[in-house]
Amino acid sequence: MSRTMSLERRTALTGIGFVTPTVLIIALILIYPIIQSVVLSFGQSSIDGSQPYQFVGLKHYATLMGDGRFWNALGVTFTFTALSIPLELGLGIGLALLMNESFKGKGLARLAVLFPWALPTALNTLIWRWMYNSDYGLFNGVALQSGLVDRPINFLGDEVLAMGSMVVVAVWKTSSFMALIILAGLQSIPRDLFEAGRMDGMSKWQEFTQITLPLLKGPILVALIIRSMDALRTFELPFNLTDGGPVNATESLSLYAYKVIFDFLDFNFGAAVVVVQFLVIFAMSLIYVFALRNKD
Amino acid sequence: MQKRPRYGLYAIVSLSVLISFFPIVWLILTSFKNTAGIYAWPPQYWPDPFTLDNYISIFTNSPELLRYILNSFIVGAGCTAITLMLGGLAAYALSRLRLRFAGMLMVGILAVSMFPPVSLLPSLFQNFLNLGLLNTYTGLILAHAGLFLPFSVWMLASYFATLPVEIEEAARMDGMGFVRIFLTIVLPLSWPGFVATGLIVFIFSWNEFPLSLVLMTQNAMRTAPVGISLYPGEYAFPWETISTATVLAIIPVLIITAIFQKQIVGGLTAGAGK
Repeated sequence: MSRTMSLERRTALTGIGFVTPTVLIIALILIYPIIQSVVLSFGQSSIDGSQPYQFVGLKHYATLMGDGRFWNALGVTFTFTALSIPLELGLGIGLALLMNESFKGKGLARLAVLFPWALPTALNTLIWRWMYNSDYGLFNGVALQSGLVDRPINFLGDEVLAMGSMVVVAVWKTSSFMALIILAGLQSIPRDLFEAGRMDGMSKWQEFTQITLPLLKGPILVALIIRSMDALRTFELPFNLTDGGPVNATESLSLYAYKVIFDFLDFNFGAAVVVVQFLVIFAMSLIYVFALRNKD
Repeated sequence: MQKRPRYGLYAIVSLSVLISFFPIVWLILTSFKNTAGIYAWPPQYWPDPFTLDNYISIFTNSPELLRYILNSFIVGAGCTAITLMLGGLAAYALSRLRLRFAGMLMVGILAVSMFPPVSLLPSLFQNFLNLGLLNTYTGLILAHAGLFLPFSVWMLASYFATLPVEIEEAARMDGMGFVRIFLTIVLPLSWPGFVATGLIVFIFSWNEFPLSLVLMTQNAMRTAPVGISLYPGEYAFPWETISTATVLAIIPVLIITAIFQKQIVGGLTAGAGK
């Protein structure tokens, strides 16, 4: 009896020993900074600690509520998310269905589709910025030479077009990620379900809406939530494509927070911006965890 | 029925591949053009003349671009090593050692992995400044390890769950300690899981932007995505250099993805499915 006790204790102690370094790093890099951001957002301080921290209560949050640029950034972030996610989902489902077929060169095709996702967003974005260029860009070259337009399109210089251009880059990059997750779900659907459907005389479309789609609910939900949280914190895409312009039409919340902190060097107000952004995304992540719990 | 040639299918596949790949092809073509060709109007679709000058010029005139790539390698390798070692231990404990708070910890780790990196910036920058960790490999490796440990813990734990427990139980009966079991039994059995996790974490670290941007303020310490993005400075964007540097910076990712496609896809979908 006492031997089992000591074994259990040893197991527990070893477990704690194994877990501690990871928990420590996560606490230092992820958890403590969030707490510190909250503290910073309620006060006035200097970066190097030369001025003592002064509690100012909700002052920065009050400023934030009256800050048009913050509301603009929030709107940009939501618009970008709402426009890109449905497109990515649609294309993702299409690509997944395609990759679920068997055909020659499938491995190669899947690889080509995976590349945009695997490459750094910052560098992807630079390539697109070059293609969008209104003086030397590929798109304007093709459009002008083929006679589609008679004047170069200013893709990144127009408020509406710039948002559209940004959405296109995001969709191009991440549809394949959506497709991968959905494809894994597709492959776990038992074949005989489709055979049963065919016996009942179902058309391809009925098969898709009545068998495939309902069974893909889980993977689609996961893909949607991972991607929307990614979209809600988008940073290097507008940073490299437009720097938030023209007139802040593509300035995401992350980009605005970055500018407040590192261009205007206002750490305390910047902290208030990131805390609000954190709350928005945290609400999303709660839904995520909740949805996953229900799935099991 | 399957014998019927499926032109429609091939047409759609070709179109998807084309759309996915043409920006990368355009980038590579651009890197082989001379300056006049790059700024030609209408655009040159094929490099004329085809030149390697941009590549030669990077190696001779812009060594900082190579430095960025080296920095990315150091940070990526360091971060991968740490996340595999520590994440492996943690994942093993959480999936095998029947810790009472294991489930809670796993959910907690999942939740913190969704923190927006920008919300860490004010605090991390300030603390790294005061600790002298700005512009150090140690600092950025630690930051990246923090960002990607949750992913590696989840992925490795789901891999361990697929291994049979019996071997480990037999080893315990023989009086083996957990550390020895982990090193001599679990590690050799689960190396495919470690390879997949390591590759994905390396790519994550290679691609990471906001923390790399803020925690490396000196030009010589910047990672490839940040260094190349900020390269133009005050001048007009020098596309001949940018495109060539971008090609060099994405080659490692292209190679890793091409060789380990199966492992990466398997790992990602397993990670997301959990």
